[in-house]
Amino acid sequence: MIGLSHYLILSAILFSIGLVGVIRRKNLLMLFFATEIMLNAANVAFAAISSYYHDLSGQMFAFFIIAVAASEVAVGLGLLIVLYKKYGTLDLDNYTMLEG
Amino acid sequence: MENILSVLIFFPLVAALLGFVVRKESIRVYGLTVAAIEFLLTLWLWFAFDPNNAGFQFIEYIPLVSDFGINYYLGVDGISLFLVVMTGLITLIGIIGLGDVKRLKNMILSLLVLETAMVGVFVSLDAIVFYLFWEFSLVPMLYIIGYWGGERRLYAAIKFFLYTFTGSLIMLVGMLYVAYIYQSVAGVWSFSITDWYALVLPISVQKWLFWAFFIGFAIKVPMFPFHTWLPYAHGQAPTIGSVILAAVLLKMGTYGFVRFSLPMFPDASVAYILPVAVLAIIMIIYTAMVAYAQEDMKQVIAYSSISHMGVIILGTFAMNAEGITGSIFLMLSHGIVSGALFLLVGVIYDRRHTKLMSEFGGLAAVMPKYAVIFGIMLMASVGLPLTIGFVGEYLSLAGFFRISPIMTLLGGTSIILGAIYMLSLYKKSFFGPVTKEENKKLTDLNGRELAALVPLVAIVIWLGVYPKPVLVPIDNSVKALVTFMEEKAQTPEAKAIIHVSTSTKEAK
Amino acid sequence: METLIYTALFAPLVGSLFAAMFGMSPKTLLTGVVTSLLLFVSFVASVLLLQHVMAVGPVHATLMDWIVAGDMRIPFGFSVDEVTAVMMVVVTLVSTVVHIYSNGYMEHDKGFNRFFSYLSAFVFSMLVLVMSDNFLGLFIGWEGVGVCSWLLIGFWYHRKDESRDVNPSISPAWAANEAFIMNRIADLGMLIGIFLIYWNVGSLQYDQVFASVGQMSHGLLVAIGIFLFIGAMGKSAQFPLHTWLADAMEGPTPVSALIHAATMVTAGVYLVIRAHPLYSAIPEVGYFIAVVGTFVAIFAASMALVNRDLKRIIAYSTLSQLGYMFAAAGLGAYWVALFHLAAHAFFKALLFLGAGNVMHAMHDELDIFKMGGLKKVMGWTYAYMGIASLALAGIWPLAGFYSKDTILEVAFNEHTYGIWFVLWLTAGLTAFYSFRLVFLTFWSDERYKEYGFHPHEVQKYVLWAMAPLAILAVIFGWWKEEFMAFVTRLLPAYEMNEHTHHMLGVLIVVTLAIAIGGIVVAYLMYHKRLRRNPKIEASLPYRILSNQYYIPVFYDKAFAKPYAELSDIAWKEIDMQVVDATVDGIAKIVEESGDESRKMQNGNLSDYLKWMAAGALILAVLALVAALKS
Repeated sequence: MIGLSHYLILSAILFSIGLVGVIRRKNLLMLFFATEIMLNAANVAFAAISSYYHDLSGQMFAFFIIAVAASEVAVGLGLLIVLYKKYGTLDLDNYTMLEG
Repeated sequence: MENILSVLIFFPLVAALLGFVVRKESIRVYGLTVAAIEFLLTLWLWFAFDPNNAGFQFIEYIPLVSDFGINYYLGVDGISLFLVVMTGLITLIGIIGLGDVKRLKNMILSLLVLETAMVGVFVSLDAIVFYLFWEFSLVPMLYIIGYWGGERRLYAAIKFFLYTFTGSLIMLVGMLYVAYIYQSVAGVWSFSITDWYALVLPISVQKWLFWAFFIGFAIKVPMFPFHTWLPYAHGQAPTIGSVILAAVLLKMGTYGFVRFSLPMFPDASVAYILPVAVLAIIMIIYTAMVAYAQEDMKQVIAYSSISHMGVIILGTFAMNAEGITGSIFLMLSHGIVSGALFLLVGVIYDRRHTKLMSEFGGLAAVMPKYAVIFGIMLMASVGLPLTIGFVGEYLSLAGFFRISPIMTLLGGTSIILGAIYMLSLYKKSFFGPVTKEENKKLTDLNGRELAALVPLVAIVIWLGVYPKPVLVPIDNSVKALVTFMEEKAQTPEAKAIIHVSTSTKEAK
Repeated sequence: METLIYTALFAPLVGSLFAAMFGMSPKTLLTGVVTSLLLFVSFVASVLLLQHVMAVGPVHATLMDWIVAGDMRIPFGFSVDEVTAVMMVVVTLVSTVVHIYSNGYMEHDKGFNRFFSYLSAFVFSMLVLVMSDNFLGLFIGWEGVGVCSWLLIGFWYHRKDESRDVNPSISPAWAANEAFIMNRIADLGMLIGIFLIYWNVGSLQYDQVFASVGQMSHGLLVAIGIFLFIGAMGKSAQFPLHTWLADAMEGPTPVSALIHAATMVTAGVYLVIRAHPLYSAIPEVGYFIAVVGTFVAIFAASMALVNRDLKRIIAYSTLSQLGYMFAAAGLGAYWVALFHLAAHAFFKALLFLGAGNVMHAMHDELDIFKMGGLKKVMGWTYAYMGIASLALAGIWPLAGFYSKDTILEVAFNEHTYGIWFVLWLTAGLTAFYSFRLVFLTFWSDERYKEYGFHPHEVQKYVLWAMAPLAILAVIFGWWKEEFMAFVTRLLPAYEMNEHTHHMLGVLIVVTLAIAIGGIVVAYLMYHKRLRRNPKIEASLPYRILSNQYYIPVFYDKAFAKPYAELSDIAWKEIDMQVVDATVDGIAKIVEESGDESRKMQNGNLSDYLKWMAAGALILAVLALVAALKS
């Protein structure tokens, strides 16, 4: 029987994968993918807990997140394209203008 | 004039804002007019003040944040009255004595804003309003030192700002804690100082709060070992900056002791007389020695001003009417005398662009008027009877004598050491042959400088010969303060040390 | 009577302010004349007051309140009683003479107007000192005369500092500062005495303080007595605060005559006389005062023996005579001290003014070894200085004989034979050095010719102005009985016991003998020519004496230099290296930690994310710990 903990473990694994991706990846596009994985990890957790407590607000939040993630991708990818056109690369190490 | 205090506070500020549209050529006249009106208003305040009423007068009360007991609450008593008058006077004198500086307009407007802050500090009866003005006063001063100062002006300005600011923050924490205790006792929030007076704090709490306030005030005074920002600030500040700093800003610290520490923490104040007095005595002797070692005229005055502040502290912690009245009078006299001395150093700096005593010598022959006025201020500074300097110094020391004769003897060395560094300054700069070619054709004081200095000379002698008009209002309020402290004190030791005048006792 | 009091007091002040108005303009004879006239007015008022006090009794006047704070209530009150009246007449008389004299002496000085302003201001302060009816009023005058003395010693401020070998007083400005600072040391003692009185009596008015002497404990009285005496020691230049007086001779000679001989330096004696109810209650302190005075008497006389400086010799003799006065006052013979004070004021002022004439004639040369034979050209001055020296030496029937001899009788009467003997010996030394000065200046060979001087007598009116002093130096002693009767209405009468009465004749003969002996020795040694013995001059005792027992050098090495060095250390080592460095150190720690942590913000998003993750992890751990705990 697949219980709540399994879903949560899956969510944690997904989140960790996403986190490692966020930390390790240097390409902005890859970073984006990693963030999406983390968001989806949260979605899994939300959905699982929602069903566990028989409370629909969790699933509602999951939908919210999906919507936010979609709009984020739309805006973010647009920005990425502008960045790529301007600098010809998406490598993070090249963007250090905010150095203190 | 019901709300004279608000007028006093905000008139310079409004005038400063309006000043932005005044043309550059007429800004000096504008500044003079505003400062003169403000000074006349302070004089009016003095004449309207009832010297027989020891409590707060001209009270104004407008709720600001009623839920937290923060109110726009103003009032003066004999203790703060003359500090307000002196603020008006010194600002006026400073603007009169202002030489040709770059961006004169900005300078004058900053001075007016500064005046608002200084008057605000002395008349606020709400701790938060007090604190706002207290911190606000740093800003124009930071600008004055940082923009018009000498070579290391930024270092000096930032040091001045950060050092005093750090101290004030600790004081703020103390204030918040007092308000918190008040809330837990009375059920409502209040930052009103008069409410706080009524609060009887447990002695252990008093002791912590005493030190929290002490750090804020001691840095401002500045007491040893928190004094090192002052020589830099004075060394770098333009003449007018030093005048205001020495004459008024430092007095905020000693005023704070009288306004907050003594009536709010009578037991702790008595319990800590010894450490505070030891610091004050170190301050008197040590900075007097440091002053003697200086090569720069202005630094001598700067350190001497620290040394004299030590006597003020002794007087404040004398816990009797003689000492506290003396210390408040000494605040006034020190303001006027050190202000005048800084103006005088500015005079020679304008002419020679140096303040090193080794560059001078024989000035008495070249600039006799200058030498005479400097001589009079010097004598007032060393506390010659019949000048303003003696009354306060004598009363402060006399008051503290009741606490400890030995420490008074040590603190009294101020009159010897003061004579040593001041006379040696005078000898190095004014006596002897004129050795430097540049000094031979120096011009004596001009009309503008005389207009700034002569009123100060007049005050120095007038209040030296007849200090009664000033002493009586101060004394009445101080007697009330001492009586209040004695009644509020919890420990028998504190009650024994706080000395209520016989005349007050008989009046009862 | 109040009008008289205020006339006497304020006339000099008006004169001073008047002269001050012309202070920066070139010489105007007007200032000299006006101040002298006003001084004369003050003198007349003082004499009238003296008469009034004689006929009716003390007068009192209160001008206004001065300091009012707490229980302290100090008025500007003035009281003229027997002692004050005597002091006032002495002060104003000598001042008037000195003012007139200065018109001639300062004739060619650039600071003529300034000089009169200071001089009159001094007289005003001195009158405040003697007329005040409370201790703080006395302190006003006390400090006021100090400042005027500072101004007048440093009158020729433009002279430069010399080494001690060239000029033992270094420079007028240096001497002025030394005098002021030394006096300040003593003034602190006096202030402490005043505080003690205030907190134990509750008032500083003389009458109240002296009325409550009986209620104070003995220890307290001793403390008050000692602290007040410390104040007196400064002003009256008693050992160890004596060095300033000799250096004060840098001032113009009329100043030396008025301030550093006749009036200001006797303020200390006046204080002890004024506080006689206090000192009578503590005879052991009185004895201490007498011992100090006696020591100073012989100590100063010994330095005068070998000095070559005309004015310094007289300054030491002043010091020595002040010692006599303290000896008398300390032994309880207050009226005798006052008597000697007055007599000394007359003959010593005369002596100094005579010395001024000599300086004038010799173009400010002070070395008596370069003078000699001046009596031919300066007959009047010779006569005046001769009279003054005879009086100083205590030769019958001049004033000094009566006053000094009485002091010796007192010392004998008190069975303090040690004091008597030392004072007796000092009388001989006094006679010797006074006449050494007279013979070397006015008799002997005319050495000044070698140095190209052309001495001449001073103006006639100056000589006339000195006449009153000369007359008083002769006749003042004849009024001893009257004087005693008058002042003992206030001061305790001092009665000699039977034994002393029997011995009186012998005592007088013995004293006169040593005085005349001193003169004879001086005559034998110096009346023909200057005899110098290089062997003696090179000997250790001689060098010790001529270097003032090396005390000024010792003070320099032991106090002035270490103080300067310590100050330097306090500033450069402690203030800059420790106190300020700590503050800057704290600031630096904050700044550097900021500077280090700044590197975190390298602009690389990936690094930021790592930091964020680490932070989130720490927060998560903290949350976990908190959750587990609760």
